[in-house]
Amino acid sequence: METKGQRVRHAFITAWALAVIVFLYLPTVCITIASFTASRYFQFPVAKFGLDWWEKTFNSIEIRQLLSTSISIALCVTVIAVTLAFFGALAFARYDWKGRSIYQKLILLPIFFPQSVLGLALLLWFNMLGLQLSWMTAVFAHLVWIVPVVTLVIAIQVYSFDPALEEAAFDLGATRWQVLREVTLPVLFPGLFSGALFAFLLSWGNFPLSLYTTGADTTVPEYLYAKMVAGYTPGVPVLGTVSTIGAAFLLIGGYGLILAMRRARQSATE
Amino acid sequence: MAARPTILSLKSVRKIFGTLAAVDSINLDIGEGEFFTIVGPSGSGKTTLLRMLAGMEQPTSGDILLRGERINDLPANRRPTCMVFQSLALFPHRTVGENIEFSLKIRGEARDKRKARALELMDLLRLPQAYYGKNVMKCSGGERQRVALARALAYDPQILFFDEPLSAIDYKLRKTLEKELKDIHRETKKTFVYITHSLEEAMVMSDRIGVMREGKLVQVGSPHEIYSAPTTRFVSEFIGDVNVIPVDVAGDGLLKSVSLKDALKGPVPPKGFTSGHLVIRPEFLRFIGKPSEADNSVSGRLYNEYALGSRIQYQVRVGERVFIVEKLRQQMFTGKLDDEVRIGWDAKDSILVTD
Repeated sequence: METKGQRVRHAFITAWALAVIVFLYLPTVCITIASFTASRYFQFPVAKFGLDWWEKTFNSIEIRQLLSTSISIALCVTVIAVTLAFFGALAFARYDWKGRSIYQKLILLPIFFPQSVLGLALLLWFNMLGLQLSWMTAVFAHLVWIVPVVTLVIAIQVYSFDPALEEAAFDLGATRWQVLREVTLPVLFPGLFSGALFAFLLSWGNFPLSLYTTGADTTVPEYLYAKMVAGYTPGVPVLGTVSTIGAAFLLIGGYGLILAMRRARQSATE
Repeated sequence: MAARPTILSLKSVRKIFGTLAAVDSINLDIGEGEFFTIVGPSGSGKTTLLRMLAGMEQPTSGDILLRGERINDLPANRRPTCMVFQSLALFPHRTVGENIEFSLKIRGEARDKRKARALELMDLLRLPQAYYGKNVMKCSGGERQRVALARALAYDPQILFFDEPLSAIDYKLRKTLEKELKDIHRETKKTFVYITHSLEEAMVMSDRIGVMREGKLVQVGSPHEIYSAPTTRFVSEFIGDVNVIPVDVAGDGLLKSVSLKDALKGPVPPKGFTSGHLVIRPEFLRFIGKPSEADNSVSGRLYNEYALGSRIQYQVRVGERVFIVEKLRQQMFTGKLDDEVRIGWDAKDSILVTD
């Protein structure tokens, strides 16, 4: 039985939690609602609903080009970042070596740089080196900021890794390569997987670094900003919604995959 | 322990970390099929020694010989030895069967052959066959011990190393597993080299015990020798409570202790022995009426008593000194606390040791 005091407290906690959720997600919901307008101008609340802008957006070659650029950058960033961050995380959390504590601090610093300044600095560098700016230079720019984040994500998993596992495998006759393939990688897989999700999503949504470094190519966030500043159409909330929903699907899908794998492993119990 | 051919031989093995000699000039021969246990407190270098034997550390100097062949630089994955780790190091993403078969899979053996061998080992270790496909992290502590041992045995090593695998297990299960391990040793006839900080654990299982202190082997012998004939105070104090009286050898062969009035009769001191400690195990002390009932006696006050299961321990205070007496429950002493009591012991039941 709940006492009156407990009931009041529960009601208060529920109200507070709801307020936080509304605060966090209402803006995203508004964008989605705004995308279903039939009018040609920015108008909120929506006066007349319609799917016109969704149709226009999906038929636009320009939008497809944008999505393809953003996906290319995010995929390249994911692959390179996870590879670098995996070894980086081993150096961060697994091995004891001279200079490790300095390394641990230096590797995390780029996360705290203002991204607009970092973007500008990279732009100056690319110019000085005479590199042609394109989505490929943006990949490099994203990596500077994302590799530290992914290193940290994977390092958390590495900290809970018992080094005796590798020694045991080695002692049982495995070569260094077999130890990596049979033990280290599979045991660290959840960390690598969440690291990959982080890398993809952070690259997908990044605006400041892309703004400076994509050159003639344009990513989704850049386009949204440009259209917002000049030439607004309700295609902006449509693309924004697509971008957000895509990210959400990836996140939920990834989570579902991990759950499914865990369940498969548990069902091996019986 | 006679006539066993030597399988593993250590010649002046040293390991230096920085300026510290973690393992200092160890000479030791371990026999074929022997259960040898290295005992020492934490920091005594026993883990470093074991890791050198298993090939996970290289000695700074000295040689390790396996059947006469120098194996100092042979990496762990090419040594015909296998280790059971303190954390057990079971692969959490694998089933019981996959864990046991790991070395066979690495060796490239066929699936059905691997499985047959795994099931055979599970039988030996009394793991139900239904566990073959069980997630290893779902096993109990005792089951995990058995899986780890089965995984090591599947490698078919010439020597099995154990790095305190029972230290994290509760008392009752540990006692069972100690005996089981000794049974497995009997069944497999393999050489077991075990390290632990518990001399009690070593006693139960071992053919021979080596006691380590600060990187050195201070005594090697059978459990009986270590218990009843320790050569140093350190070894004598390693198991249970003992009475240790600092003594000097007097001219007449008697022993003098600054803390006790009367001279003591003890064993004949070895040549060159001038001062050291007289050790008397608590079960050799007895409550007596008159001084003439034992070779040595002291009188004091019964301060407290502690029930230790099958035995009762009494604390007797003699001046500044505390004596510990242990009796079987059936022979319980009937005195009252704070009574004046006399305790005595015979010279043959005491041991002279150096520091």
